[in-house]
Amino acid sequence: MLEGKPLIDFGWILDHLDDIAESILQHLQLTILPLVAGFFLSLILAIWAVRQPRVYGPITAVTGILYTIPSLAAFAILRPVLGTSLLTALIPLTTYTLLILVRNIVAGFQAVPADVLEAAEGMGYTRRERLLRVELPLAVPLILAGVRLASVTTIGLATVAAVLGNSFGGLGQLITEGLQTFFPTKYLLGAVLSVVLAFIADGLFVQLEKVITPWARAQAGAR
Amino acid sequence: MTGSASQGAVVQFDHVTKRYSTAAAKDGKGVPGAVNDLSLTVPAGKICILVGPSGCGKTTSLKMVNRLIEPTSGRITIDGVDIESRGLTDLRRSIGYVIQQVGLFPHQTIGENVATVPRLLGWPSARQRARSEELLALVGLDPAKYRDRYPAQLSGGERQRVGVARALAADPPIMLMDEPFGAVDPIVRDRLQNEFLRLQESIAKTILFVTHDIDEAIKMGDLVAVFQNGGILAQFGTPLDILAAPASDFVARFVGQDRGLKRLSLLRVSDAELRPPTTGRPGDSAAEARQRAAADKQHYLLLVDEGNRPVGWIAHDDIPAEGTLTVEMANPVSPQVNRRTTLKDALSMMLDADVQTGIVVDRTGAVQGLLTIEAVARKMRDGEHAAPFDVTAEPGADDHEAGGLQALATGA
Repeated sequence: MLEGKPLIDFGWILDHLDDIAESILQHLQLTILPLVAGFFLSLILAIWAVRQPRVYGPITAVTGILYTIPSLAAFAILRPVLGTSLLTALIPLTTYTLLILVRNIVAGFQAVPADVLEAAEGMGYTRRERLLRVELPLAVPLILAGVRLASVTTIGLATVAAVLGNSFGGLGQLITEGLQTFFPTKYLLGAVLSVVLAFIADGLFVQLEKVITPWARAQAGAR
Repeated sequence: MTGSASQGAVVQFDHVTKRYSTAAAKDGKGVPGAVNDLSLTVPAGKICILVGPSGCGKTTSLKMVNRLIEPTSGRITIDGVDIESRGLTDLRRSIGYVIQQVGLFPHQTIGENVATVPRLLGWPSARQRARSEELLALVGLDPAKYRDRYPAQLSGGERQRVGVARALAADPPIMLMDEPFGAVDPIVRDRLQNEFLRLQESIAKTILFVTHDIDEAIKMGDLVAVFQNGGILAQFGTPLDILAAPASDFVARFVGQDRGLKRLSLLRVSDAELRPPTTGRPGDSAAEARQRAAADKQHYLLLVDEGNRPVGWIAHDDIPAEGTLTVEMANPVSPQVNRRTTLKDALSMMLDADVQTGIVVDRTGAVQGLLTIEAVARKMRDGEHAAPFDVTAEPGADDHEAGGLQALATGA
């Protein structure tokens, strides 16, 4: 750009397709692992909170505090302890999902109508059957809404993980390196790809919800 | 219909008490929902209605049968077996449960909803499906049309039918129904009640049915248990007995001052005394017919056709001194009822038509007799003498006549 070069150097992109694919895969890793870990952790916390309502307050307080820690600060805090390992990136990314996921899962369980629960109990569902076959399926729309939000958030936050090192930096690394070397092709590509990734994830979860909760559409149509 | 149809079982409450320890217990009014020393036997295959004001313990009593609530003391047996001795889920799966809000699973299709208990019991899926379709048909929902829909796509009345089908799925001997028709509009409720009574004729389950509506209790119950606040059983008996002889001031007030009229909804034309009509046919001698009409208590002659079917009334004064009877002389006939018509409906038809007499006909339309307003009023008063309590009566006035009913009978 400075010396009249084009803003986007397509030749460079074509020469580095492998590296770009590698960055995308790394980024997916930085997104999916925290999401999966965060989801199961949140599910346990949420079920606990639903059964013992008095722990819900403390759980939201703790996950809320974790959420407010700036991401860059979190990486900086963990780095002296865990080094520049992948774990250092994954831990904060995981804890950031907790607030959103716990809240949505709890809301999902709370949205299960009382008459449905009473009918299930009266017909002889065991507690476990009721959880797995009635409460969980009925909580799915709100749970998926949470997962969707958490995935988009995590895709964004994962770009910051590039500060930790270059072995797993993902698209954030393209952006950081591009900015450091005044090479717009690289940082713009990183930015555009992470936005595209976020859109794709969002769309996937919308589709997923449609496929696994056909009844919810029936409900919406009836109103 | 199901091959292995299990008939109802005997449900017995034996000194069952449920206490709730809350601050409300201190004010002496009793705690809403508490049950006080309830002993009650529901015979197999009967509908027993638990009725009473809100908080009287009727729903608590119901929920103690499938152990959604555990009694403080006393025991409940099913066919002599203490329910405490049975596994909780096993017990519940053997009892049909229908609640007011239905509680269908929104994420399951109607077919899956109906097959809930068979699925929990581990039936093969083909049998589950067959059973579910059989039951949908039984409650009047076309399986092909409803099977794959979701609850949200059904009307309130349709959902309630599915709720009944779901409760019947594993052919339980007992059904618990907690205000099952309370959430639908009166027209749909009436239809569901009638359908359910027809259904019960073939399935003969033992049914415990909670309602706060005395009219529903009288209509649906073989037996009615009237509860009063504090979880006390105020009276237990057939609807006719309760209307005829309320056991206490509370019961009399609860069933209402119109209990004579309510009795009429339980009695049929066949229960009343019918009067033989004075009849004549077109072509009969007018002079002779005139004589017969003069002898009639009401001075009327009923013109009938060759099938003995009513054509119309001819007043004595309108019969000419000579010639023959003709169809043109007859006035349109009064309301026609049959022996199965309730006295309440018959009375209502007569009042609507502003006549004193209804014509009772058989299936072919042939005259069987006449039902007079006096005969209806007599049935309404039957049993009143036995009533030890009446809210309108002076204390101790035990052989009073029901003044309101007299007035109706003479005024009609």
